[in-house]
Amino acid sequence: MGVLPALYPRELLWAFDIHAAEIWDPPGEILHANAHLQTTICPIVKKSLEFILKEPQIINAGYLFPHTCDSLQNLSTQVKDLIGVSLPVYTFYNPKGSFNNTTTKYYQDILKNFQSTLEVSHGPLNPEKLAAACVLSHKIDSHLLAIQQARMADRLSLNNVEYFKLMRAQEYLLPIDYLNLLQQVDLLEQPFEASKARMMVSGILPPPPEILEFLDELGLSIVADDLLAVSRRIPKFAMDSPDAPLDYLTDRFFVLPPCSTRGSDLDERLHYLNSRMDESRAQGILFDMVKFCEPELFDHRLLVKTFRGRNIPVLTLETELDHHISGQDKTRIEAFTELLFEMVSA
Amino acid sequence: MSIRAELKYKIMKDYGAPALMAFQDFRRRKPRPIHEAFGPPLESNKRLKEILSRHYFLSRYAPGVKKVAWVTSGAPVELLRAFDFYTIYPENHSALVGAKKQGAEYCGIAEGSGFSQDLCSYARIDLGHMLSGKTPAGKLPKPDLLFCSNNICQTVLYWYKAIAHELDIPLIHFDAPFVTTEQTEADINYMAQQLQDMIPILERVSGRVFYLNIFEEILERSMETSRTWGAILEAMKAQPAPMTIFDAFGHLAPIVSLRGLPVAQDYYHILMDEIDTRVTHGIGAIRDERYRLIWDNIAIWYKVRFLATFFAERKMNFVTATYTNAWAETTGYLDVKDPWKSMAKTYGQIILNNNLKHRLDLMKKMIKTYAVDGMVMHSTRSCKPYSVGQFDLRKAITADLDLPAVILDADIADERVWSEQQIQTRLEAFCETLEGSKHG
Repeated sequence: MGVLPALYPRELLWAFDIHAAEIWDPPGEILHANAHLQTTICPIVKKSLEFILKEPQIINAGYLFPHTCDSLQNLSTQVKDLIGVSLPVYTFYNPKGSFNNTTTKYYQDILKNFQSTLEVSHGPLNPEKLAAACVLSHKIDSHLLAIQQARMADRLSLNNVEYFKLMRAQEYLLPIDYLNLLQQVDLLEQPFEASKARMMVSGILPPPPEILEFLDELGLSIVADDLLAVSRRIPKFAMDSPDAPLDYLTDRFFVLPPCSTRGSDLDERLHYLNSRMDESRAQGILFDMVKFCEPELFDHRLLVKTFRGRNIPVLTLETELDHHISGQDKTRIEAFTELLFEMVSA
Repeated sequence: MSIRAELKYKIMKDYGAPALMAFQDFRRRKPRPIHEAFGPPLESNKRLKEILSRHYFLSRYAPGVKKVAWVTSGAPVELLRAFDFYTIYPENHSALVGAKKQGAEYCGIAEGSGFSQDLCSYARIDLGHMLSGKTPAGKLPKPDLLFCSNNICQTVLYWYKAIAHELDIPLIHFDAPFVTTEQTEADINYMAQQLQDMIPILERVSGRVFYLNIFEEILERSMETSRTWGAILEAMKAQPAPMTIFDAFGHLAPIVSLRGLPVAQDYYHILMDEIDTRVTHGIGAIRDERYRLIWDNIAIWYKVRFLATFFAERKMNFVTATYTNAWAETTGYLDVKDPWKSMAKTYGQIILNNNLKHRLDLMKKMIKTYAVDGMVMHSTRSCKPYSVGQFDLRKAITADLDLPAVILDADIADERVWSEQQIQTRLEAFCETLEGSKHG
């Protein structure tokens, strides 16, 4: 099943033997999607539609649109009701704003409704498979948390390119294959020689490989992230082993880090980012903003203001996901890196 | 509540506001000349201006007497009315700024402070106002509470979060799940429960106790007001139509920002009477209505006069709009006997929180009901829920109904986005097609 960004109960799909192939920034030029979407729509939405319009054969169980933002919300109904695709289109609502008992109960209802919807086309859910999927998910989360911790503590000998390649492999690998991959990651017992400069990155997607390579060349390590595609989908802390699957899935959603797309409180977000910065000993932060991404752009101003207030260097890049780094951005990254190096040597 | 503030508020309400109205009336003695393409203007315009001026004028004396809430246009304000909040609608205020062609200035203030130019212009204007205190309304009171619902967009949640943080005040958010096919029991129960969960918070902020009977009265009034607004819009079926949709964009203000109050209810009775009279006597909003159009999306506030005149000169009248219809469409779900769930149905299913099949069906129905000859869609940079999907909506409507249509790329309140030459060319081409299609 082709799954659009960002948050969805992957365990339910696995329990139905559905492989979730996530669609974030598929390669290729945006051509046909331009006939359906305005120029001021974010490239993630456009690239997703371009991918869907090609009707790729690897997608045969339908498309899932989690409720992430206004543009993806409308794209779901545009694809389903106006453009029309030969495969089923599913949606999944993620509650917004502050959370309480009412939200928790509703989230459980959404999970049950989603399960019923999938049962229509995929037959009754096998509870044992769901339990096993939750166990698998729990193992993956545990490994990811350990890897994140190791990254922050310089106990992971992966450069920026390798690290984000590993983190993004979950978007397309089968869960069991991904778990195997994570199990092969070598976590060092002692910290290796740390890079001279460390930073955190915030945004939707990791910077494109070209930028990551450039950062590697400059000797700048991304030691922590606040990315929707990466850390914002990993629980903030290790959860107990899953006993009751629905409770586990519900708890998992509510222990995810604060996120603009869920309408998280700004103080909570700031507190979380500050703690990540401190924990990872990052000296600066890069905001890699996707053009026209409203959820991120609204929070961005306060985050920048707060970090600057703490004398933390901030760099903001804007991307249209074209995977090319401009000369101007290169110069800005170099200047930013120099600033971080100066801080290290001071 | 301070006795001094209360006394001041009462004096301003009883004497200050009437004096201001009299002064404004005096200033308006020389009416602006009306373009020959238009019919006689609505008498109710004067009352509308009085109501809105009075509302903004009195708002500056509200602090200390009433708690002030800033509210989004789709939020279930009836609940706040039960606690006697003085409500300000930032969207309405931003539209006012836009109409005065000051949008770019206010947006610039927000942008200068770090907000992106790609954000909604209503939000940027409001943030510009918040950061500078500037307003064409004289002065607006700072809020004690923010109340928003994402039933119109997720943007309002991000926007109100930013204000809540900046001003350090509470934000109540009413989460309205998007209707992808139809509302589920779970959606309705979730929204109904959220409304009830808000009561203790509202009691704390307002210092008032919630009384169900008062709330029911407000709900009843709100229902009746929305029904009257719906009837006014339905009167546009008459040929010639008694007003243009550009008039309706203005007359929409009370149903948006004063919904649930007697002043809005009374106002729409006045407007309804006038509209009925015009229909009875065949008085049209434009002198020689030959073509009837539908408008999709929010108004282009800084170009309302330009667009109204452009079309009136060509004997074209906008007789319906998805935008104005939004405050009448789902009123039928309200039920005083089942307030919570009925509010969930009413506020959860409004056009921008509903799927595009619903919008397509609604637009087709409006086109048939109002005998529409052509469609103008405003694709606005500020509003993704309104604009994403418009290209395919146009395609479906033109194919099914053989209706000429044009899309204008502009913005609701940031006049920097307007490209006069490009839009004029598109509009002229559209008018030619429309004239050609009607006369074969």
